[in-house]
Amino acid sequence: MRLYRVFGVCAMGLLALAPSAMAQKWEFGGGLGGSFYLSRDVKNGSTAASAKLKTDIASSVWLGNNAHGKWGGEVRYDYQRGDFSLERGSTSASFGGETHAIHYDILWHATPRGSKVRPFLAAGAGIKVYRGTGREAAVQPLSQYALLTKGQELKALLSLGAGVKWQVAPSLQVRLEVHDYITPFPKEIVAPNVGSNVSGILQNIVPLVGIVYTF
Amino acid sequence: MLRKFLLTTAGVLVALASTATAATFGIRVPIGGEATDLAIDQPRGVLYIADFTASRIDRMNLATFQLLAPIQVDPNPVSMSLSPDRRWLLVAHYDNPTAGAGTRNHLTLIDLVFGNAKKFYQLQDPPLAVAFGADNQALVVTTKEFLLYSPASNTASLLDTVADLSAKTLPAPDGSYPLDITTASVSRSGDDMTVFGVGGLSNTITFRYDVASHKVNPGEIVLSTGTLGPRVVSLNQDGSRVMVGWIMLERGKGTTNFVPQSTNQFSVGTSLFDDSRGLIYAQIPAKIKEPPVLQILAQDNLTVIERLKLPENTTGKSIFNPQSSVMYSISESGVLVLPVGYLNSMPRLRTSSPSILFRGNFCDSSVISRTLTITDPGGLSTAFSFKPVTPGVTVSPSSGVAPATVTVTIDPSAFSAIHGTQGVDLGLSSSNAINLIEPVKALVNHAEPNQRGTIVEVPGTLVDILADPARDRYYVVRQDNNTVQVFDAANNTLLRTLRTNNVPTSLAISFDRRFLYIGHDASQTLAIYNLDDFTRQPDVSTDAGNGNVVRSLAVASNRIIATSRDYKNQGHILFIDPVTLAATQPDAVGVWKNSIAPGSVATASADGSQAMVATPDGFTFLYDASVGDVSVSRKDFTALSGSYGASPGIFSVDTHLLNGSLVPFLDLDSSGGQSSGLVFAAGAVRTGAQDSLSPGTASRVNFSTGGSILPTAIVEAPLLSDSNGIMGKFIRSLVVLPFHNSFVSLSVSGLTLLAANYDAPLPQPTISSVTSAADGASGAASGGLISISGSNLSTSTVAASVTPLPTILGNSCATVNGKPISLLLVSPSLINAQLDGLTAGPSVMTIRTPQNKSPDFNFTVAATAPAVFLNGQSGTETNLPNIVRDFNGLQVTASNPIHHGDSLTIFAAGLGLTSPVVAAGVVTPSNPPAVAVVQPTVELNGVKLSVTFAGLAPGQIGVYQITVAVPTYVPLGLSVPLTIKQSGQSQTINVRVVN
Repeated sequence: MRLYRVFGVCAMGLLALAPSAMAQKWEFGGGLGGSFYLSRDVKNGSTAASAKLKTDIASSVWLGNNAHGKWGGEVRYDYQRGDFSLERGSTSASFGGETHAIHYDILWHATPRGSKVRPFLAAGAGIKVYRGTGREAAVQPLSQYALLTKGQELKALLSLGAGVKWQVAPSLQVRLEVHDYITPFPKEIVAPNVGSNVSGILQNIVPLVGIVYTF
Repeated sequence: MLRKFLLTTAGVLVALASTATAATFGIRVPIGGEATDLAIDQPRGVLYIADFTASRIDRMNLATFQLLAPIQVDPNPVSMSLSPDRRWLLVAHYDNPTAGAGTRNHLTLIDLVFGNAKKFYQLQDPPLAVAFGADNQALVVTTKEFLLYSPASNTASLLDTVADLSAKTLPAPDGSYPLDITTASVSRSGDDMTVFGVGGLSNTITFRYDVASHKVNPGEIVLSTGTLGPRVVSLNQDGSRVMVGWIMLERGKGTTNFVPQSTNQFSVGTSLFDDSRGLIYAQIPAKIKEPPVLQILAQDNLTVIERLKLPENTTGKSIFNPQSSVMYSISESGVLVLPVGYLNSMPRLRTSSPSILFRGNFCDSSVISRTLTITDPGGLSTAFSFKPVTPGVTVSPSSGVAPATVTVTIDPSAFSAIHGTQGVDLGLSSSNAINLIEPVKALVNHAEPNQRGTIVEVPGTLVDILADPARDRYYVVRQDNNTVQVFDAANNTLLRTLRTNNVPTSLAISFDRRFLYIGHDASQTLAIYNLDDFTRQPDVSTDAGNGNVVRSLAVASNRIIATSRDYKNQGHILFIDPVTLAATQPDAVGVWKNSIAPGSVATASADGSQAMVATPDGFTFLYDASVGDVSVSRKDFTALSGSYGASPGIFSVDTHLLNGSLVPFLDLDSSGGQSSGLVFAAGAVRTGAQDSLSPGTASRVNFSTGGSILPTAIVEAPLLSDSNGIMGKFIRSLVVLPFHNSFVSLSVSGLTLLAANYDAPLPQPTISSVTSAADGASGAASGGLISISGSNLSTSTVAASVTPLPTILGNSCATVNGKPISLLLVSPSLINAQLDGLTAGPSVMTIRTPQNKSPDFNFTVAATAPAVFLNGQSGTETNLPNIVRDFNGLQVTASNPIHHGDSLTIFAAGLGLTSPVVAAGVVTPSNPPAVAVVQPTVELNGVKLSVTFAGLAPGQIGVYQITVAVPTYVPLGLSVPLTIKQSGQSQTINVRVVN
């Protein structure tokens, strides 16, 4: 409940930026793609299990503008499905999960506004909510490494990305992009057990294809 | 004749009615004087009663028991006899004034045919008795002469003289009965061919008058004292058996049996032969002023068959009617009419057994029940009631009418302090039974599993035991019914019962192993049986000229050695020739006087080379077969008692071992209490006990130190000597069975069988800890489930499969403060159990297995000791707290953590008493809920949780559940302390809490 509240405050803050851009060229788009996580080792002594969210569908919607020459910006909401998983050898455990993220990315385009093709780089920040939605069980494989738990956890999000926009019609773009979303490891959802530890970040590579309405 | 008989029968029936009301046997007919003699005239329907003090012959109607008009006679009719042809009634008048000769000593002859016409015959001396023989001539006994009186001629001729038949003078001391004055009595046999008499004031003279030859002969008893009471004589049909006072004589054999413990009162008691039933009816008091009792005795050995309560004492002669159905006895009021032929029409009670053995089990507190059958021998509905005086014993129904089967129930917990066998009188009585009801005992044995041996229940008074060296049998003397019981040593079953004479004391087997000799305390005989075919051989007299009875027998190779007691209660050593079986009482044994204390015993070595006699006053004697006499007499002790035994070159008595010269060389350990038995087998094995309630002890003798090797408790105490009893201070209670090397001991309930390796060590259970079964660490609480850890706790692993939980599982049990507790699981190293809700404070636990008993383990039982069950599993993780999230019904684990807002059910033990109380071992009902009397509090990291229920979990046994609600502000964490507190006790476990 608390996380949802935080999430809502952030979204309202980002929308507050929108009036200053209302006079600019706007983009509203949405895309689908895949979510690929780079696993992290949860170590227990000299052994370790790899933890991540399983590859699954990623989706995103965004509202952007191009008001400053090659610069632009967009606020995005990303939703990904993906079970949390632990793997060690042939043993694995999984737990239903999903993520929600909202972030603002600054875009630098390689070509001026109005170009038919506009490669771009993106970087931004926001928040990401990891949610364990699975069914808890008293017995979980690999629980000596980490515990996959029902709950939700808010993490800061660093977003890096690159892509290309292709103006296929006066008000329609097709967009290909890939993002690397980086958060601290969600240790409450994938909770290292006593004697185990996991450190570092969790990287989420998301390639997607989007369709954008420009106006 | 028939009419008279019918009238008599009618009278008897009236008597029966009277008897039934009074709960005594017989009716009394007061005559207002002192009866001295009786004569029955059935054709005339009259019983004549010589009334000594009223100077008359009372006449009683046999049909109505009413007194008819008496025949007035001269004073002091002391004796009377009816001629066989029923014409003459001869009456003797006693006059023995203090000063001068009596002038009124005479006979009155009454002619019953001719109007009771009387003739008189003057006597020189006071007459004591008269008795007609079959020849219609009467023997008249005066204080100095035996006369033969002929009624036809009213003349008398002298048969013989007698010197010592003195009698008391008149006037007599106040309160004297006639027999106290005359001290004499005569009776005739049923065939009227023999008259036997007894008399004497300062001594006892007996005589036998043979009617056919008109000869008076000595009566086979001459006692230097006058004490032989009651002064009554009775004879059987042919006169071959005579009961004189308390002694039974057999013609040509002398004293064969006698009734022990007579008070010797001249004027209290009676006896009467009943040849048609093979019985003797007798009142022979054992104690002064004892309630009057008519004993029914077996004629052959005086075994007491039944005892009937009399309304008053008999005081002299008894006679039968011709049908032997009604007995008339002189009594305090005059006459007692005793319809012995109609006993089956009178209420009596018998029980199926004189005792019932209950074997309690420390593992099982449930009551034990056995049934007992009560019958009336005549098939009547006789009332009975039970009133056990000892708590823990009940009889149901406690009252009723026979025939009935009652259930005797024992609460073993009432006898938990007893480790041997306790006899409890069931208090059987009857408001209308005329017989003295023999006490019925519940024998309650409460042995520990480490007490070795098996009890074979054998009722009765067992006093001696002997193993047969040539046959796989052993022999046991049962003294109360005059038998020797023969047991098959292979299976300890009763093979045969051999009748003995009265009060058998001891056994011996002949040196050629063919015959069994049986000594007696109330018969001057040895009874002898051929052991090959159990045929009885002629009895052997042990009188040895001195009225000896045998206490103990020992068979040497060339002589049977007996210890005896003569009629003066002096002890002797008897030598019995093994061939002629003639018993002699030598004046000297070796160079010593043959005078030993009564109650001495003898034992011989198996090779027959030596025999030892030990006396209660500390003497020992050695009979040496090669010498043929006693070669050693020693006085090494002030007193001796208990067991005795012999082996070639070594003897034992009491707690001493003696060498082949009877020199003591080793004192045995006496810490086992009184010695009871000792046998030389693979060394020596001995038994003893502190008292009859204690467990007995069997041990092997350490011949170096005298100590006990592996003293082993046995199931009940072996028989201990009773210095006040018939057997005196010595006891032989143990035998080794030569074909099995096992042992049999006489014991409180009968026999105790001990295996040859009875003392083999067996695993002993040992308790190392008692903890809450919830976590194996917390303490025990009242009503709580506990885990008992240790070794050898059970011989097998068994889980309870029934409810209520058993107190015995896998033949193991645990008791706390002596009370068995409910068991869930037993295994060699662990027992899970539930404590009783009433157990609290310092407690003692004991584990018992079929083999042994643990040392006591002290522990403390708290009123409450909350502990969460740590029996949960999560994958490979075990011993997780048994807390369940109601959300998903799964145990709380790190992967199923507690969430804010959760409802949890905590399963715990040790929350103490509940309301309502649920008994230990019982499944908790769901309704009404059993709520913990002291409610616990539950905290998560210091945040108190709302407890919605704390009490026993329905459907479970001894498991409590605490239901709590988790608020949303509980701190989160992977390891959050959850604390349960109750009455100052607490337990903390760590759980994971997430939001």
